[in-house]
Amino acid sequence: MLDTIFAGLIHGSAYALVAVGMSLIFGVTNVANFAQGSIVAVGMMTAWWLGTSLGWGVVPTAIAVIVVTGLLGLIMNALVIAPLEGRKPIAALLATIGVGQILDNGLQIIFGTQTRRFPELLPTYNLQFAGVRFGTSDVVMIIFAILSMLGLWAFLKYGKAGQAIRATSQDPQAASQMGIPVKTIRNLSFVIGAVLAGVSGIFVGLFNTNINPMNGGTIGMTAFVAATIGGLGSIPGAVVGGLALGLIESVGISFLGDGAHDLITFGALLIILIIRPQGLLGGDDVKSEPLTGTFLGGGRPINLPWWGNLGLAVFALATPFFFSDYLSGVGTQIAIYSIAAVGLTLISGSAGQTILGMAGPFAVGAYASAILSTRLDWPFLAAFLVAGVIAAIAASILTFPVWKLSGHYVAIATIGVGAVMVAIIRIWEPLTKGSLGIQGIPFPKVFGQSLYTQQMQYLLDVIVLIVTLVIVTRIRSSHLGRVFEAVGSDQEASEALSIRTGAYKALAYALAAFFAGLAGSLLAHQYTYIDPTIFNSNMSILILTIIVLGGMNSPLGAVLGAIVLIGGPELLRVASDARVLLYGVLLVVIILFRPQGLFARKA
Amino acid sequence: MNIWKKALRNAAVAVTVAGTLLGVSACGLGGDSASSSSSDSDTVNIGVIYPKTGQYAEYGKLFQQGFDLAVEKVNKDGGVKGKKLGLKYYDTQSDAKQDAAVAPKLVSDKSVIAVVGDYASPASSAASPIFQQAGLVHYGFNNSAPTFTDTGDHVWTPQIGQDVYQKANADIVSKKAKKISVVYIENDWGKQAYQYFKEEAEKNGTQIVYESSYLPDSTDLSPILIPARDAQPDAVVNIGYGPDGALVINTLRDKLGYTGPFFGGQETSEFLDNAGKNAEGTIITGSFSATGTKDAKAQQFVKDFKAKYGNNPGNFEVTAYQAIIDLAYAANKTEPTREGIQKALQTVTDFPLYQGNGGTFKFNTKTRRADNIDPILLIVKDGKFVQYDGE
Repeated sequence: MLDTIFAGLIHGSAYALVAVGMSLIFGVTNVANFAQGSIVAVGMMTAWWLGTSLGWGVVPTAIAVIVVTGLLGLIMNALVIAPLEGRKPIAALLATIGVGQILDNGLQIIFGTQTRRFPELLPTYNLQFAGVRFGTSDVVMIIFAILSMLGLWAFLKYGKAGQAIRATSQDPQAASQMGIPVKTIRNLSFVIGAVLAGVSGIFVGLFNTNINPMNGGTIGMTAFVAATIGGLGSIPGAVVGGLALGLIESVGISFLGDGAHDLITFGALLIILIIRPQGLLGGDDVKSEPLTGTFLGGGRPINLPWWGNLGLAVFALATPFFFSDYLSGVGTQIAIYSIAAVGLTLISGSAGQTILGMAGPFAVGAYASAILSTRLDWPFLAAFLVAGVIAAIAASILTFPVWKLSGHYVAIATIGVGAVMVAIIRIWEPLTKGSLGIQGIPFPKVFGQSLYTQQMQYLLDVIVLIVTLVIVTRIRSSHLGRVFEAVGSDQEASEALSIRTGAYKALAYALAAFFAGLAGSLLAHQYTYIDPTIFNSNMSILILTIIVLGGMNSPLGAVLGAIVLIGGPELLRVASDARVLLYGVLLVVIILFRPQGLFARKA
Repeated sequence: MNIWKKALRNAAVAVTVAGTLLGVSACGLGGDSASSSSSDSDTVNIGVIYPKTGQYAEYGKLFQQGFDLAVEKVNKDGGVKGKKLGLKYYDTQSDAKQDAAVAPKLVSDKSVIAVVGDYASPASSAASPIFQQAGLVHYGFNNSAPTFTDTGDHVWTPQIGQDVYQKANADIVSKKAKKISVVYIENDWGKQAYQYFKEEAEKNGTQIVYESSYLPDSTDLSPILIPARDAQPDAVVNIGYGPDGALVINTLRDKLGYTGPFFGGQETSEFLDNAGKNAEGTIITGSFSATGTKDAKAQQFVKDFKAKYGNNPGNFEVTAYQAIIDLAYAANKTEPTREGIQKALQTVTDFPLYQGNGGTFKFNTKTRRADNIDPILLIVKDGKFVQYDGE
């Protein structure tokens, strides 16, 4: 056991190092930087190239990495984050997702697709303890993590620039009035965060030994979990969170096997948040909510007159009759994701609670429908509707303890809920066949007619989408919708009016999960095969991105967002290699020019 | 005023609705294939759905090398029934959503006579029903999942089934070890492969003293490899791919000081480069050895491949190459049309075989899988995979 614990602590210190940078950015700029993992990968790949191709030693490599990632942080802030200053923080979050995609795919174009061995810049296995070999690299990594933690803490507490950073994060206007150059200070925070990420890249590379340009996503996600466990914004918390996560994973996996890895990681996140809602070392002084969308003064959805809506509906219903197979095929994907996204506007738009785990209810709907129709021979329409209900119930039960959390911890906890739902599907083999997936799901059959062409399925998807739009729009204009809106606009004021905000958020989320479940069912019956890898965190992020792009609380905007985000990669097919990179650029450009969303007005 | 405006709007809506309905009533929901006829240009194409970008892009690269070389050869040898053979590449990132979106595009392209790919089974399976419905052969040359061909009679795979592979694998393991620890990759392929391996190992009386799966993106496997080592096995068996295979062997040797025999990894440069000297002596079950093959046409393929790309081909390159050669062979035996390919796969019994021991192979018309491709054993000697006779 000692060896397992020891191995876990070493892995944990790699998490801790990345988490420190994450927490710094989050704490001082209030931006949840989803590109942080990708910057780690930039540092890692730069070091790989310098270390192998040029044979540089550790010190010059580290200096080069500092310069490269520091510049990258500066450019990223100047071009992407700073212009969004004063906008909804969710716009900046979305922009960082776009930047992450640009970096990941840029790295892949530059360095190729291969998984490689990281050069031994420092001895990696020259020491031994408890039957586990480790190296100078690990020792230096731990010392570096602790030093950077202490250094940052002292800098933020006593340093002049550090105090300015904190002042800026608490109140930019006030800071500016006191003569603090707010712009420079923000640049400085981003440079420090990026440099930390870059240097961590060297150590993560040394630790992982196997490296690939696309590693950034996973590295970022685990660091985010570690930082949250420790208490977001708390730098000592990031170190404690990293070590704790390494330890929990290591011990948990040694008992349950690595097949349960996700369940352990995200289960631990949920349990720790439920026991300690502010993370292990987090204070409860974080008032601003970087992951929430609608403040008073946020964007308002553009409303079409009734004849405009009717015209659009008729047009949409007509498209299956003249679209080619290809257009209909793309159309099915757009419509299915739209259904989930339109539902999400209720909770993330109206009720103001960002949900980052929609792949969970989506997967439950797909599996419920698949199992009901293959094992119990239910007719499609019954399986379809019940799939939505099951998704809503499963999501509500698992998310129930989360509503007592506050602020952005809810959003992060939903990442955990989504991942745990998929992890349970993977492990519950007797019911779901686990990783093997379910094959032979029948095409949808409506009133005796099997929908076997793209056009027929597309027509079904469009009809479901229109019904979803009608229901969601009706809810928005009902009394219930106004209450959701009130909860989203000002939670404190709503509480003062004795509205139970947690309960209403739970209701809005259940509705969103219902529609996600319907979308999942349509997807399952179109693909005829599903397995857990389809419902990954990229799916969750995509659904959220769709509504952010469309305008958080605009159901029609969600459809527009889906057209751009799912049609986009198809349109960009001409670009070959750079397709996904251009997609990231498109995302960033749209958000820079319309931060309130495509289909929303500035307030 | 208001009434007029309203009436005008109503009229506008009515006109739009009526116009659109009128416009579409001529068309139907039957799909492109119902309303168009086949083209007769002098090029026919094979559609390729594969990961050019994204996390599986490395495999896409290997596939593309095999495809390109195969098409060159086919056209040099006179094409298919006098027509030129081409490839239509579609990047899907092996993402089911993009496969489903792009499959209809291939179906509606009348120059496409068959489709090969994708890399991963979920992605392939999302496209299969669309090809099946259109009567277009889906040749999932990399999809060894046992249920892959269940979608319908136009879905085929020449992949050696994992039942055959893992039987051979368990047999060679049982020759060398009585007690083993097994770690395998947690996905549709790994899960299935391990089930077959375990069945055969039990038959052979091999004792599995530790087993665990691992997720494809896990970066630290010490928590499962420590108990795997501490169970004191005669050998450690890994069922997985290249990068994770290298991670397993490196962790065992470098970090945990394990010195016993190792079965696992993958016949790719990714595995060999990442594992380095740790890979020495590793035995795997494969289907092709560039240096060991005794088949004349396979030797020629190795020579051509080396001339074009500078390195020896591995399993991925050869299966991709063979997929195109086989489909061209099918087209030449019947006719270069969708129907011709399907008919040839059902009737032709001597498809050129580059893998295994070479020669030819045919399909089992019930399972639509290759019947008689034998796996071979490979061992790492001096940083290279060479054929191994099992002694």
